[in-house]
Amino acid sequence: MFLRLLILSLGLFSYGLLRAGDLSFTQDIRPLLSDACFHCHGPDSKAREGKLRLDDRASAIKSGILSNGEMIVRLLSKDPEERMPPPNSKRVLRSQDRAKLVQWLKAGAEWPEDDRHWAFVPPVKPAAPKVEDKKWARGAIDRFILARLEEEGLKPSPEADKHTLLRRVTFDLTGIPPSPEEIDDFLADQSEDAYEKVVDRLLSSPHYGEQVASYWLDAARYADTDGYQNDRIRYMWVWRDWVIRALNDNMPFDRFILEQMAGDLLADRNFMTQVASGYNRNHRINSEGGSIPDEWIVEYVADRVETLGTTFLGLTMNCARCHDHKYDAVSQEDFYSLFAFFNGIDEAGLGPNNGNSPPFIPVPKSWPELKPAENKFVVPAKMQIKVVQTSVPRPQSGGANTVMVMHELPKPRPTYVLDRGLYDRPDKARKLQPAVPEVIGGWKKEWPVNRIGLAKWLTDPAHPLTARVTVNRIWQRLFGLGLVKTSENFGVQGEHPSHPKLLDWLATEFIRGGWDLKATYKMLVTSATYRQSSVGHSDSDPDNRLLSRGPRRRLPAYAIRDSALVSSGLLVPEIGGPSVRPYMPPRIWRSISNNSYKQDKGDKLYRRSLYTYWRRTIPPPTMLTFNAAEREVCIVRKDQTITPLQALTLMNNVTFVESARHLAERVMTQEDLTSEDERITYAFKAILSRPPSSRELALLKEDFLHHEEIFSKNPQAVGQLLKVGEKPNDSKLPSAVLAAYALVASTILNLDEAISLN
Amino acid sequence: MNPMASRRDFLKQGSIGGLALASMLAREPLLGSGAPSSDLHHPPRAKRVIQLFMAGAASHLDMFDFKPELVKRHGEKSDFGEHVEAFQNGLGPWMKSPFDFKRHGACGKLMSEIVEPLGEVVDDISFIHNVVGKSGVHSQATYLQATGFQFPGFPGAGSWVSYGLGSENEDLPSFVVLPDHRGFASNGPKNWGSAFLPTHTQGTTIFPQRANPIEDLHPQADYVTDESHGEGIDLVNRLNRMHQRSRPMDPRLDSRIRSYELAAKLQLSATRALDLSDEPAYVHKMYGLENAGKKYPKNINPEEETEYFGRKCLIARRLIERGVRFVQIWSGNDNSFPRRNWDSHEDMTRDHPSLSLGMARGTAALIKDLKQRGLLEDTIIHWTTEFGRMPSSQKGKGRDHNPFVFTNWFAGGGFKGGRTHGESDQWGYKPLDRKNPTLVYDTYATMLHQLGLDHERLTVRHNSIDRRLTDVHGHVIKEIIS
Repeated sequence: MFLRLLILSLGLFSYGLLRAGDLSFTQDIRPLLSDACFHCHGPDSKAREGKLRLDDRASAIKSGILSNGEMIVRLLSKDPEERMPPPNSKRVLRSQDRAKLVQWLKAGAEWPEDDRHWAFVPPVKPAAPKVEDKKWARGAIDRFILARLEEEGLKPSPEADKHTLLRRVTFDLTGIPPSPEEIDDFLADQSEDAYEKVVDRLLSSPHYGEQVASYWLDAARYADTDGYQNDRIRYMWVWRDWVIRALNDNMPFDRFILEQMAGDLLADRNFMTQVASGYNRNHRINSEGGSIPDEWIVEYVADRVETLGTTFLGLTMNCARCHDHKYDAVSQEDFYSLFAFFNGIDEAGLGPNNGNSPPFIPVPKSWPELKPAENKFVVPAKMQIKVVQTSVPRPQSGGANTVMVMHELPKPRPTYVLDRGLYDRPDKARKLQPAVPEVIGGWKKEWPVNRIGLAKWLTDPAHPLTARVTVNRIWQRLFGLGLVKTSENFGVQGEHPSHPKLLDWLATEFIRGGWDLKATYKMLVTSATYRQSSVGHSDSDPDNRLLSRGPRRRLPAYAIRDSALVSSGLLVPEIGGPSVRPYMPPRIWRSISNNSYKQDKGDKLYRRSLYTYWRRTIPPPTMLTFNAAEREVCIVRKDQTITPLQALTLMNNVTFVESARHLAERVMTQEDLTSEDERITYAFKAILSRPPSSRELALLKEDFLHHEEIFSKNPQAVGQLLKVGEKPNDSKLPSAVLAAYALVASTILNLDEAISLN
Repeated sequence: MNPMASRRDFLKQGSIGGLALASMLAREPLLGSGAPSSDLHHPPRAKRVIQLFMAGAASHLDMFDFKPELVKRHGEKSDFGEHVEAFQNGLGPWMKSPFDFKRHGACGKLMSEIVEPLGEVVDDISFIHNVVGKSGVHSQATYLQATGFQFPGFPGAGSWVSYGLGSENEDLPSFVVLPDHRGFASNGPKNWGSAFLPTHTQGTTIFPQRANPIEDLHPQADYVTDESHGEGIDLVNRLNRMHQRSRPMDPRLDSRIRSYELAAKLQLSATRALDLSDEPAYVHKMYGLENAGKKYPKNINPEEETEYFGRKCLIARRLIERGVRFVQIWSGNDNSFPRRNWDSHEDMTRDHPSLSLGMARGTAALIKDLKQRGLLEDTIIHWTTEFGRMPSSQKGKGRDHNPFVFTNWFAGGGFKGGRTHGESDQWGYKPLDRKNPTLVYDTYATMLHQLGLDHERLTVRHNSIDRRLTDVHGHVIKEIIS
């Protein structure tokens, strides 16, 4: 006992620095309990030790350990038998966090009655805060940001220069750089609303839909193949084009969800809404002989639940597939109740081993410009299983003129809780009907108990998550980090928002404005916060969580390639259509079951990266080198890395060398460019969206003259360089000069600025 | 600028890839949340791994796991004493191995003639004959052995090792994959993807026979001399530095500049590591490269397979000598025709002997060579495959998939030699002790243990789950380590 007291008092000494009353239960304490204790004392009833629950207010208080000193003793004990978390549990509680818990316990272990996790409490529109600096803020967003900066004694940064701003907003809204002409126009426009005009122009560009779609495709795990073993071909590009069109038409986001969730069930369903329902067919499908069909149907349905969880709820539903969630109050029963919404599809466990797996429907030849008579709901052919190779049950296959959709069986499959998530371990005593997790709640009786109801629930104004999760992802896209940094996880284990009130303001405005994506983008990119210069001026906020400066980000993988194609003039800006096969490493597909990659010719080599054929087992290597999402499962956030392979790609990859060659041709053939300086300046502007400084220009010109001299003596090297890539240069141009400009262009394409947004 | 802050940000932003910097990584707590204060969890016995992966499922019964009962019952109707879910109805009569078995080494291990070259090094090998899988389907089973999970989306074992240990060198990736030159196995590059680990931990594929053994390593043609290429990189970095002066707070620019310096180093080091011309003739011969460049017959043959596999083994040795942490060598591709993998449904005597003799010669040379250089003691060699083959026959001469039992073995890196741990039953159909099989979690727990890593503490949080190479399972197999 004496020993224990001694340790206690020693312990107390070290938290002298912490002030009492600084700790909030939901923000400071529960995350620690969740991390260190919930694993054995949390929602998972099967894993619970000593009948103690620390995730539930009533049972925690009732246990007495919060008030009788037991928990303090357990936290501070050096006895391995007594100490919590147990030293052999491999759960680590840092000493400062341990101190926080003890401080909280000593201060009376205050646990508010309404202890709902913040993300499960529906957002209420907060008033924009008062700020001291009355000039800086342009709107409510800025006032939330500024108020916090002022609290921390920080100041926002001045507005970025016009070049930087135009580059930033053009990439963010269209995924491609501004042209040198667009730069000149913007600089010349001295009117008050010059920037707003640019934003409106970009939002009405068809490239807006492509840009926003590229993120949606990552979340919706869209790809051109099935993803397992032989990774057979499927045809879903019609769905992809539906997404681009819906975004360009600015379809309200609640409708966007409804059509994708339930486009096959709606009263006003038609061919277009049916195509939209293909969203839930983008998961991988297995065709390998010997696989067990029932196991795979479970896999597909679970994938739909997990995708819904990450994309709309910001919850890691997959945790609850095998057991009650360890941290969030999502039970295994909740998981399988959501599962039941998707478990009535007339689908096969094994794919057809090439082509679309039923249900699918034929696409009229006139797509995408359907005649009114063609825009009708089509009943997909019933699934027909034929046993091949003596034992492999395969459904019929849909060819290149079809698209996969959702379609219900006359009677859904029964849904049970699956023990450990295993397809062959249904708990027959626990048969489930479609339902939504109790912890989120908010289901209205008048909604049909099907995917229509599910979509209505997701987009109900009282839903605590969908709007928050959606605006947070938009924020992440524009600012590099979400207000909730863990954009895939709003649960207890996720990160608390940096600006909770701003998040709620944005979410409620999004709903109030009719789920208007373009208006939301406009509001964000015209804010003073977004328009700040990204040059850092203070050490105190290295991650820029407080937004005292503008965002600085690396371009996404697709934009890096597209940018080279645009600046060289190679890009073929056609929207939509079947996926294309640009350059790939030699024999890239031979490796998978004798497949051969038939590289396209001509225009198809220069389409935007969004249209590049995405083979799941062997995705385009250049895209992965720049951290593109793999499109296996739903991805809403990817960490970025800097690697030497990226340097090698930019230096040597055929697309980038060919782009350099054609940018060289562009500057040599443009009539208004007459001197070397002007040509180099144009190339520089085409890639970096700003003119070079005199020092930069001098260095690049020196580089040009150096290469020109070498190439003039070495026509063979010139010939080799000009042969990289399939589109020839104008043969009338002096080839040594062309080659020298090409290497200068390649140098510029390799600059950090070329793949960054400042 | 505060150099510590910059370094911290740098690591947070994403460490320099491919070639993670050993000195930096070793000092950073990269071992999951609540990282230990030292670099490793316990003193290591090994520093690196060479993994040999036989794609298509190599037959334990015809290589390492001799079954006298099958000799006795050869041709009799097979009876497993229970219902068997066979992959392709391969439940024909019992079939003895068509190959002769002989005792080898001081340990007297019975091994078949198609792995005879391994006889010389059998006293350095620990066999595990009771490994069980979870699926008889190639793709899932390959994922399970390569990543510890039978579904896509998990990092390869080499990524975990690179993540846990960092790199030992600055010029080469820490995880290198030498695929079968004819193509990838089931799942292709997904078997060595980094998934949720940092991108620099992913396996870098090297195809030594290609002009660009690493994609885009060199320009497509000789339009720039090495000298002017070097100048090009210098110019890029000079311009990057000028830009950096206007934004001193941005650590990413340092990393970008460094990545170009490392790219230049990689170009040189990879070229050197793959250039075998400085190896003496006896080394070439030892690895079976004496026929290099010869025209081979069209049908599969041991000489050709020996050259292919031997070359990869020799390159693996050169890579680990240069500090690569994890080299994965693949034998066999996926389902091509004519078959060039271990999936012998039709005839055990057609593909297995050539593939196996090639593998055995190269592997034996590798073990001997590492030993004579003093590298075997801290290099783990791990031989694996996605599952085994059935003791019953299929189509008369072939064998169907057997995920219920198969063989793995380890050599070097503190593993005992001349050992056999865990037996299969009299048929080689399931483990003899069905309650205590060895799983992939156990083999990887043991591998990580030898590398100084506790498989339960090498975790990374992804989507709120602390992920491990060994999922939530795994025991260190104490019996086979010294």
